[in-house]
Amino acid sequence: MFTDFETQTYVDMKKLIPLFILIALNQVLFSQISTILPHPVSIANTSVADSKNWTAFCNPAMLGSLENSEIGMQYENRYLISELSNKTIQAAFSNKLLNGGLSFSHFGYSLYHEMLVGLGFARNFSDKFAMGLQFNYYTAYFNASNSYHGAFLPQLGLSVKLNSGFSVGFQSFNPFQTNIRTELGTKRLPSIFSLGTEYFFSSELIWRTQIDKEVSSNYRFATGFEYQMLQAMNIKLGAYASDYLVPCLGVGFGSGQLKFDLNCELHPLLGLNTMAFVKYRFRH
Amino acid sequence: MSAQDAVATTEQLIADIFEQYTAESEETLDYDSFFEDLMFCAQNPINLNQATREQLDKLPFLSDIQVENILSYVYESGSMQTIYELQLVEGLDMTDIRRMLPFVVLGELNDQTNKIYWPDLLKYGKNELYVRLDKGLETKEGYQFLPEEDQSSPTSSSNSYLGNDLYNSLRYNFHFKDRIQFGFTAEKDAGEQFWRPIHKGYDFYSLHAQLNNFGKFKTIVLGDFRANFGQGLVLHPEFGMGKSSYVLNMSPHNSGLKKFSSTDESNFFRGGGATIKFGKFDFSAFYSNKMIDGDTVNGTFSTIIKTGYHRTLDELSKKHTVNQQIVGGNATYTNMNLQIGVTAVHTQLNNVLVPDKSVYNYFYFSGKQQTTGGIFYRYRWKKLNLFGETAITDNASVATLNGFSFSPMSQVSLVVLHRYYSPEYDTFYASSFSETSRINNESGLYLGAEVRPFRKWKFAAYADSYRFPWPKYGIDAPSIGKDYLLQADFNPKRNISVFWRLKYEEKATNLSTLEAVMPVIVPLKKASLRYQLTYSYGDFSFKNVLEGNLVQKGNPAWTYGVIASQDVSYAFRRIPLKIDFRYQFFDAVDYENRFYSYEKDVLYAFSIPMYYGLGSRYYLNLKYELNKSLSLWFKIAQAVYADDRESVSSGNETIVGNRKTDLRFLLKWEF
Repeated sequence: MFTDFETQTYVDMKKLIPLFILIALNQVLFSQISTILPHPVSIANTSVADSKNWTAFCNPAMLGSLENSEIGMQYENRYLISELSNKTIQAAFSNKLLNGGLSFSHFGYSLYHEMLVGLGFARNFSDKFAMGLQFNYYTAYFNASNSYHGAFLPQLGLSVKLNSGFSVGFQSFNPFQTNIRTELGTKRLPSIFSLGTEYFFSSELIWRTQIDKEVSSNYRFATGFEYQMLQAMNIKLGAYASDYLVPCLGVGFGSGQLKFDLNCELHPLLGLNTMAFVKYRFRH
Repeated sequence: MSAQDAVATTEQLIADIFEQYTAESEETLDYDSFFEDLMFCAQNPINLNQATREQLDKLPFLSDIQVENILSYVYESGSMQTIYELQLVEGLDMTDIRRMLPFVVLGELNDQTNKIYWPDLLKYGKNELYVRLDKGLETKEGYQFLPEEDQSSPTSSSNSYLGNDLYNSLRYNFHFKDRIQFGFTAEKDAGEQFWRPIHKGYDFYSLHAQLNNFGKFKTIVLGDFRANFGQGLVLHPEFGMGKSSYVLNMSPHNSGLKKFSSTDESNFFRGGGATIKFGKFDFSAFYSNKMIDGDTVNGTFSTIIKTGYHRTLDELSKKHTVNQQIVGGNATYTNMNLQIGVTAVHTQLNNVLVPDKSVYNYFYFSGKQQTTGGIFYRYRWKKLNLFGETAITDNASVATLNGFSFSPMSQVSLVVLHRYYSPEYDTFYASSFSETSRINNESGLYLGAEVRPFRKWKFAAYADSYRFPWPKYGIDAPSIGKDYLLQADFNPKRNISVFWRLKYEEKATNLSTLEAVMPVIVPLKKASLRYQLTYSYGDFSFKNVLEGNLVQKGNPAWTYGVIASQDVSYAFRRIPLKIDFRYQFFDAVDYENRFYSYEKDVLYAFSIPMYYGLGSRYYLNLKYELNKSLSLWFKIAQAVYADDRESVSSGNETIVGNRKTDLRFLLKWEF
């Protein structure tokens, strides 16, 4: 006979095991251990050189390009499984001297979750070069020990505008490969180096490319187009490939200071991943 | 076109277009129809000032976006005054325009339903007669007979060929402008009897007639014909588009009813049909009743045989053993921005189709009758062209294909295509965008882009990610795959064109060497790079090709393949003679490293021989115009293997030795 506590623990374990399998599968198939990092609003994860958008925990140098303060939030319904969802809020403050950004991301559910808080600063130097630095604190809840463990993860970003239509971006997340050590073992945290380009065919059409290297995973190659079809609407399409080829589609709507984006990715094995973004940009 | 162009003749241009489509294909595609349709366009050019989407769709090298842009330009500007205006159409570069030139004209708007008078028919009608003969020089296994064996006796071995090794086809066509066409085709494949006790006459006969624009009748077809509608999920029995370096052209072209005059012995209908036009509506109906080949025993058969070969007693016993009746119809509404239509088709067999059950074909159609219906659309909104089709069979299985293409600026064109074909969806004449030739058991998303960032340069790329939710032929478990292509075209001068094509694909395959109870599949990775340079100088034209590939099946080391060729063509000035010569070297370690390489041929023939092993191949192709009416083609080709093999090919096609030589002759008579 089970006691109430044992029954509850058994039920929890029954829920937990498949979810751990899902999370593990997701992490393996996602090719990078970066589930905590929210997908950027830039299609196909081509954010590192995206001069039009700043997304939390992507290239902090892009904070420097912001001329207005803004707040935003994001919900990522990873493969339509709520336990794998990722929620993010972000705020950016524009200042003549230095732009600042604050962001928070949460992945998982009550029995397993990870959180990431970031405080970033960036400056744009004469519109040719921007640099940003972000201080992130990562924490994860371990059900086995019923405790949180955390670590500081710095992030550095650069953006160089080579001419009026072409720019290059670079960012490094957790460059010192900090991991978390617990009594049960070591949890490896993502250490990512990204290099990307942005090319303006015209003011309406942008082409971005990006290469990511998470130190213990394969290279990831990504490319995407963003087209401002109407004044209030843009469409985006692209793809990224590492172990799997993942095509991506997106659409964005903007009305006044409010902007709404919906991006989708179709993973050949895991299925559909959808991301919704809402952003409000303040006037000067 | 000038003689200085890298591609000098319309015939060669058509062959090059086809080659570009089929460069990555391993299927036998119907070149006859492709060539004939485009040659017909060259003889009856499309008047751009009154062209319809349907007419421009006949030019398969134009993408949906380009067709829409041409129609839109003509609509907005009223009419084109000069062909140079094509340069003002978004998304068309000089290469596209040069390709279009043989097939289009600019004319006044006129009534295309003028009455036809008999004298005009006799005076301006054009007759063409083609006679083709093929023969291999080496004797193949199927033609070897024991001294006491009478090859024409029904009791002789059912595995050896009954006829001689001569291939012969006869083709007659008549056309009056683009209003009236009729003709016939007869064909005997090598190994089939021509006039012996078992079979007399040609093995395959085909008759066709087509009338266009007679009163309310837009098209009337009688005899052998084809019917293509929508995106091909319900009905498209001919050459379907797919993945190629024309990355934007994935949708099937050539919609509607049209005559069939090819030597393809299976993918056509036999009966009659008509399309009637009422304002913006087109209504089509057709009926077909023909015998098809199948391995029929006691009223059931497991496979429809489409090879068209009836060379042995065994093959002859399967000839025309099943009656297939097909009735179908289509209604389409078309206006400037919208096209929407419905198609339905019912197929009735007199014997029951029961596929030999194995895992991969578990969901294949079985039974005597099937009904399939579908709805297709095409809609232009701003710069977006949305298109798609959804079809359903009477077992409630669904196939759907949807996508959009757009050209945000003249230098950039993009396309997205999603398809989902359920494992249970299996219909007789579907042909559409797919990784395999069968439209079922597949889902995937395709992205394509064509970018012209600088003058003279064009970059084309696609990425396709797909999934087979149920085992496929050769893949005994659900699997996924991906495909990439990147091609850079550079045209520095009018007489020079060069491209680099990089392709990578990864899919699953059975581990053939393992005899396991449970299916074992392994990844098959193939990367290939092709470089091609075409240029002309005076009366000479040249083509250099260099291609290499690397293949990994499972975990062993990568195997390689290399192929290199040099083509030289020369057109004599004083005599009407044209010569093509090629020398080709190949070294492909494994079967998976095999190459398919297009080579020039006699008119209406299209060779894409497959090579693996070590060896070389060379050919000489001659075209001689005796006078305005008579032309002759002759080709001799030989492959010599240097890898110590003692025989070439397999089964009845086996040749003892390391050489294979083919002769081909064609006579064309125009009157």
